[in-house]
Amino acid sequence: MKKVLIGVVVLFCRSVIAQETFPVNGTHNKNNTVYAFTNASVYIDYQTKIDKATLIVKNGIVEKVGIGIILPKGAVVVDLAGKYIYPSFIDVYSNYGIADAKPSSAPQPQIESNTKGAFCWNQAVKPETDASKLFVADPQSATEMRKLGFGTALTLQKDGIVRGTSALVSLGDGNENHLMIASNVTANYSFDKGVSGQDYPSSQMGSIALLRQTYYDAQWYALDKTKREKNLSLEALIAQQKMPQIFEAQDKFSVLRADKVGDEFGLQYIIKAGGDEYQRIEEVKNTKAAFILPLNFPMTYDVSDPYDAMMISLDQLKNWEMAPSNPMAFEKAQIPFALTTSDLKDKADFRKNILKAIELGLSEREALKALTYTPANMLGMGNKIGALKDGMIANFIITSTPIFNEKCIIYQNWVQGIQYEIVNYNTIDLRGNYSLLLDQKNYRLKIAGELNAYQTIVSIDTFKYNAKINLNGNNIGISFETKLGAIRLAGALNQKATNGFKGKGQWEDGKWLEWIASYSDSIKTVEKKDTAKVKSEIGKLYFPNMAYGWTDQPKQEIVLIKNVTIWSNESTGIFVGDVLIQNGKIANVAPAIQVIPANVIVIDGSGKHLSPGIVDEHSHIAISNGVNEGAQASTAEVRIGDVVTSDDVNIYRQLSGGVTTSQLLHGSANPIGGQSAIIKLRWGLAPEKMKIEGADGFIKFALGENVKQSNWGPRNVIRFPQTRMGVEQVYYDAFQRAKEYELKWKKYSALSPALKISSAVPRKDIELDALVEILNKKRFITCHSYVQSEINMLMHVADSMGFKVNTFTHILEGYKVADKMKKHGVGASTFSDWWAYKFEVKDAIPYNAALLSQMGVVTAVNSDDAEMARRLNQEASKAVKYGGLSQEDALKLVTLNPAKLLHLDTKIGSIKIGKDADVVLWSDNPLSVYAKVEKTFVDGVCYFDAQQDKKMREQIAVERNRLIQKMIITKKEGAPTQKVIFKKPRLYDCDDLETDNED
Amino acid sequence: MKIKYSLLFILAIILFTALKPFAQTAVVTPSTKAILFKGGIAHLGNGRVIENSLIGIKDGKIILITDAATARIDGSVFDERITITGKHVYPGIIAPSSTIGLNELDAVRATNDFSEVGYINPHVRSLISYNTDSKIIPTIRTNGILLVQASPRGGLISGSSSIMKLDGWNWEDAVLKADDGIHLNWPEMNAPKIIRETDQSYNERVKNYNTSISNVTNFFADAKAYSQIVHDEKNIRFEAMKGIITGEKILYVHTNSLKDIIEVIAFTKKFEIKKYVLVGARDAYLATAILKENNVPVILARVHELPENIDDDVDLPYKRAAELFKAGVLVCLTNEGGMEAMGTRNLPFQAGTTVAYGLTKEEALMLITSNTAKILGIEDRVGVLEENKQATFFISEGDALDMISNNVVKAFIDGKEVELPNEQLQLYNKYKQKYGLK
Repeated sequence: MKKVLIGVVVLFCRSVIAQETFPVNGTHNKNNTVYAFTNASVYIDYQTKIDKATLIVKNGIVEKVGIGIILPKGAVVVDLAGKYIYPSFIDVYSNYGIADAKPSSAPQPQIESNTKGAFCWNQAVKPETDASKLFVADPQSATEMRKLGFGTALTLQKDGIVRGTSALVSLGDGNENHLMIASNVTANYSFDKGVSGQDYPSSQMGSIALLRQTYYDAQWYALDKTKREKNLSLEALIAQQKMPQIFEAQDKFSVLRADKVGDEFGLQYIIKAGGDEYQRIEEVKNTKAAFILPLNFPMTYDVSDPYDAMMISLDQLKNWEMAPSNPMAFEKAQIPFALTTSDLKDKADFRKNILKAIELGLSEREALKALTYTPANMLGMGNKIGALKDGMIANFIITSTPIFNEKCIIYQNWVQGIQYEIVNYNTIDLRGNYSLLLDQKNYRLKIAGELNAYQTIVSIDTFKYNAKINLNGNNIGISFETKLGAIRLAGALNQKATNGFKGKGQWEDGKWLEWIASYSDSIKTVEKKDTAKVKSEIGKLYFPNMAYGWTDQPKQEIVLIKNVTIWSNESTGIFVGDVLIQNGKIANVAPAIQVIPANVIVIDGSGKHLSPGIVDEHSHIAISNGVNEGAQASTAEVRIGDVVTSDDVNIYRQLSGGVTTSQLLHGSANPIGGQSAIIKLRWGLAPEKMKIEGADGFIKFALGENVKQSNWGPRNVIRFPQTRMGVEQVYYDAFQRAKEYELKWKKYSALSPALKISSAVPRKDIELDALVEILNKKRFITCHSYVQSEINMLMHVADSMGFKVNTFTHILEGYKVADKMKKHGVGASTFSDWWAYKFEVKDAIPYNAALLSQMGVVTAVNSDDAEMARRLNQEASKAVKYGGLSQEDALKLVTLNPAKLLHLDTKIGSIKIGKDADVVLWSDNPLSVYAKVEKTFVDGVCYFDAQQDKKMREQIAVERNRLIQKMIITKKEGAPTQKVIFKKPRLYDCDDLETDNED
Repeated sequence: MKIKYSLLFILAIILFTALKPFAQTAVVTPSTKAILFKGGIAHLGNGRVIENSLIGIKDGKIILITDAATARIDGSVFDERITITGKHVYPGIIAPSSTIGLNELDAVRATNDFSEVGYINPHVRSLISYNTDSKIIPTIRTNGILLVQASPRGGLISGSSSIMKLDGWNWEDAVLKADDGIHLNWPEMNAPKIIRETDQSYNERVKNYNTSISNVTNFFADAKAYSQIVHDEKNIRFEAMKGIITGEKILYVHTNSLKDIIEVIAFTKKFEIKKYVLVGARDAYLATAILKENNVPVILARVHELPENIDDDVDLPYKRAAELFKAGVLVCLTNEGGMEAMGTRNLPFQAGTTVAYGLTKEEALMLITSNTAKILGIEDRVGVLEENKQATFFISEGDALDMISNNVVKAFIDGKEVELPNEQLQLYNKYKQKYGLK
């Protein structure tokens, strides 16, 4: 019956909203009915409620709203006494009515774009996409959205990095000409290349670089008068710059990264967030962006099996608990935000989840604002939608109670002045407890659940039967199976449920009977007092929000370490003495420090050793979404610094091994890789705060098997270069272009302003900018390398092109060209004893580090491995075993020497007055396998303390248990659960492409 | 703090290179000489130390081991007497579950000889692939590893391993124990999902797991039935399994997580497997009671690896061995994993790490010598310094479990002295000479 009703409504609407320009088949059916809704409590906007108000709607527009309005003649008057009217919701981030982009099936590798036409070179950049041209109304989805209270949606094709424009559409039925409120409403972006099969970009840092270059290209294209290239994509992008710009980010760090791109180009994005921003709300607020928040909260895990539960990590548990507080965190931080149904697997969860967010502290007022006012104003549509004021579109919902009341029923959703009934408010609410007299026996009848989906139970003694109930007008039918057989009842209602109902029925043997149901009382929701406390308690936020995160970030202290064996790495060598740490610096080093400041923490270092913090010249920890942008031979434009994450537990693990500084390098998939980031392991601080301020810029180069794709499988034989001879030419070509590029800019910059106007503007190329920096000694090369021929080659290229190689990393055959390296002035950063993992390392020898050192090459031992990094002291020790380096020099391989290679030796690498207080307290000789780290200081802050670590383990166990118990209760209360799957964090080494499996 | 080791090491190198320049791959001819080593600190491998020892070898065997302070011996029966006062003597280290000899260069397919095509291959024998002339072998020996279990990899049942001496003209004379056992890779109930990797759905994983479990169960049922009678028509897979059914061979079950370990124990009971060993067994420390109850030994996964779970104790892999050892589980160490063959030279240092995390040095030594021998079923011949055992041992200038002091100066396999320099040392010397370095 209900379906038929909807059908009628649809037909009716169609005839009303026929377009002016469209011919009519049959007789015209214009309907200019005026509707007057009276006596309702009307929210004319999210903060203004008018009781007993009148709302007049004409031709799809709010004509008048307020109190004391005289009802126009000829209006349909609807009395809504006791009911509520709200502006309907706006989903500001949907793909309603837009078909998904089709994945391309081109064979891999795919170097060029598959998009045909005069468009961008990269398939993921498609600003020419116009959602309004793709939009086709989808009655089924519209019905679903209307049920939730939505009346309008911004819709776009969520695919690609530059995604084109969106359209604002109504969620009514009818034709698109009528439904579309506006086209080209926002311009849209993301870091996800979507269905593009083109190799570039293959990492998030690549997406960032591509987006930046595209913006620069658009700027250049707009200025370029020669127009030797027609580019419809760039033209579209230029045209979109004045629209609101929406960026879809998938997590808190991507939010920050997107905002940084915006800053570079003077754009303030509206950011569609990922849902974990509460973990870094301060940084998120500093973006000054407005946000669109999803409500797809993590599903409860089934932790009934304690062994399974062990596979869930604390970060998953904590996020499960805290993600629903994300909107509250935004409200508390006073960050403007809208809410969206986007990302919900089941849209029906929208209501449940918003109520959950409110339970965790989101105010109802803010929730309503986030669904009406904020999205409307984000889109510059505040005068049309999001409120009910004179002249605005008549999009509103009629509800039984305040909208965020748990039991609220949305009766009707009016879209563009057209009624869509969701629940007939004349429907009799049957819910309640009844006594049911049936065949002389007294049963109990309980009708609960939702108005459209009753849950009915008939019971007698200890027996319970699930019953089906059918209400059709005033006819009621109840059927169930008892132990005596199946039974079907039919009867009639008497106006209200409380009057009860009665009728006749039939047993399965055909025998007729009489029955009567008398109302006894209403259904009471059982207050779960015992669980309420566990449920409302929310754990503390950790920094980072995972195991070993801090509830209170450790601070700089004044520390005196006494009587400790100091490995100074200075001319004083190794000696027993005292070290004073103050203000993050080494304040004093002496055999015995006499002057001791107040509030000093004294550590007895007797029998212990103090070394400078370990510096890992070659690391890939703390990097998110791809370590390699290997799709092109040169990707000098990408920057690891764009994708640093502070949520990697390996930061903490390496602190436990004495590491204090790491160079985070791009992988080695291509001859010219990306720019690196140098961080201190300041565990708990945000990514930007881990980076070392003022550190020189470095870039990764690579040679040999990785860059010629020797071990990439049989399909990867297309990208240039595939041989070492090709690698050389990549460099000559790149640096030749860089020189020409620099010259072109120099010439242009020297022109008079008048001449500049009439001359062609050179195109800014962020890849060549990085190479020009190398030529100008503003950026330095760390080159992955193995065999002597290629090491020799790069030094020749460098000499002939006028630059220096700073460091050869890995450099396992460095010993064969140590003399040449010394002459070129390049340093070495090698493995202690790795070899035989591929052909090019068959001549690797563990004596390499010792021999290079003996030859006077600045030599370091690095990790390239998250595990080995926390034992770099032991790796250094092997240079004593293999090659007979002194212990003092061996320790320098992982402290002072890598600091030199990173140009940071004036700040770190030795224990000297004035240097950064990056020191490690060891239980034993740091070169011994038996040595354990007791404390690691970075900038005078103790980030690892073996004693504190023990306490943290206990704290982790307690917090885990609290959350697991909470999950068990949540499951008991009927929350759907998901099976635990052990998620193993991804680790990177040089060879990893984002699409690879591990190893 | 200036250190003497470097000097000693250089001296040792000069000595060796002077004796045998550029011939490190040659195999030393057998010697029947009786030799007496005097004054060494003998680490017996069974937990005991003799600070001032007398060790006599002859005809490939240890004929004497005693405390010099108390023993009186007739020195004249020895052809040669070597004083090693202050030096350390250890039983040859054994590397179980290893691809040494089966693999030369990881990324070069032609040199990978450890993983046969197919899913159930109990009949393939690692012995046949074992290359006595592998360039990796001498580099491993240099640090005191003298025996390996060359083990096949891959599939559900990878094949049969053999225990090899790291010295020999060919696999026939290098073998210590042929076809000692069969390697089963137990299906993972909860295979981890790598974050960000597009992975198969949960249902599909469960399906694959169930299929694998029924495959292994059916295969063992068939193999057991087959072994009951003599067949005219032979099935070489089932033939290979006979030793497992009878208990002559050891079943090496590679598995890691707790639930899988429980499954394996139930499985071996069901099929009445007499001898089996867990390999990897990262979660074994959580199952010590059930392991002890069933006398299940463990060849423990790498000490030098990262914890599996973010929440794990940061030093969990370092201290697992001590937890098992102290609970009374028979445990030894393997270097199975990525870059395993060439990395095996660090096995003594992995044992060293367990000293920093709960064991004594002598207990740690057991994890790479006597316990390994017991687990592999070769304790009657190797693994401890004891009279009548094979004279397979080495002498180090310092503590062999610490990289700062491990400096092996002599090594013997079955009483034959093996060469310690390797091609890497040769390259080092060659380039030192080029640069005029001392």
